[in-house]
Amino acid sequence: MIRKTDDIIIRTVARILVPFIQIYALYVIMHGHYSPGGGFQGGVILGASIILLLITHGLVETTKKISERAIAIFSSIGVFIYAGIGVLCLLLYGNFLDYSKLSVILNVTPAEARSMGILGVEIGVSFTVMAIMISIFISISTTEDHSKYDKEHY
Amino acid sequence: MNTFFLVIGIGLCVLVFFVLYRVVFGPGVFNRIAAISAIGTKTLVIILIMGIIYNRIDMFVDISMVYALLNFIGTLAAAKYLEIGGEK
Repeated sequence: MIRKTDDIIIRTVARILVPFIQIYALYVIMHGHYSPGGGFQGGVILGASIILLLITHGLVETTKKISERAIAIFSSIGVFIYAGIGVLCLLLYGNFLDYSKLSVILNVTPAEARSMGILGVEIGVSFTVMAIMISIFISISTTEDHSKYDKEHY
Repeated sequence: MNTFFLVIGIGLCVLVFFVLYRVVFGPGVFNRIAAISAIGTKTLVIILIMGIIYNRIDMFVDISMVYALLNFIGTLAAAKYLEIGGEK
């Protein structure tokens, strides 16, 4: 069970740290092609920030910010962005995920279209990985239907 | 200068094994959690020293920051597990 922590030091440190973790995750996603990282790693860091909130602030307080329904929708949106960019390249007479064909839509040179297409795919991957990480954590730490439990302790 | 950092890195690798003894045989769970946290911190410094040796310190700083962050969250999760286990 994910229970709320009473310790004020842990709660305050986690609350201060979470925005910085999320900004760092965005940096890792955006600079995936220059430095180590990319969509998967950035998504894991984004998921870790929400898992930190789940550990310290409990299930009820965190699902007010991002509900389990929103998590399911986010995981689908990520796959949709990935497959959508791939199929869009297919419709423009290219192969699946052949980003250089996107230059017609984006109005840039094929090399720049490749860079932007990879960035779009990485954003989709990060959405899905973040949502699935949180979903796995909630699934393995709650055994039964947690909505019927006492709201004060969880 | 490279040899200097190489020696420091190997020294830290040897020190990890001393802390690993505390993880395996340490009396009590608190010693183990503290030792795992110490191993994570040493690994972070070893990653940075590898970055200096390979002349790619700007890349390795990113990796070490992620490592420090996941180490913090892991320690917190282990402490949380203990807290709930103690009540029963």
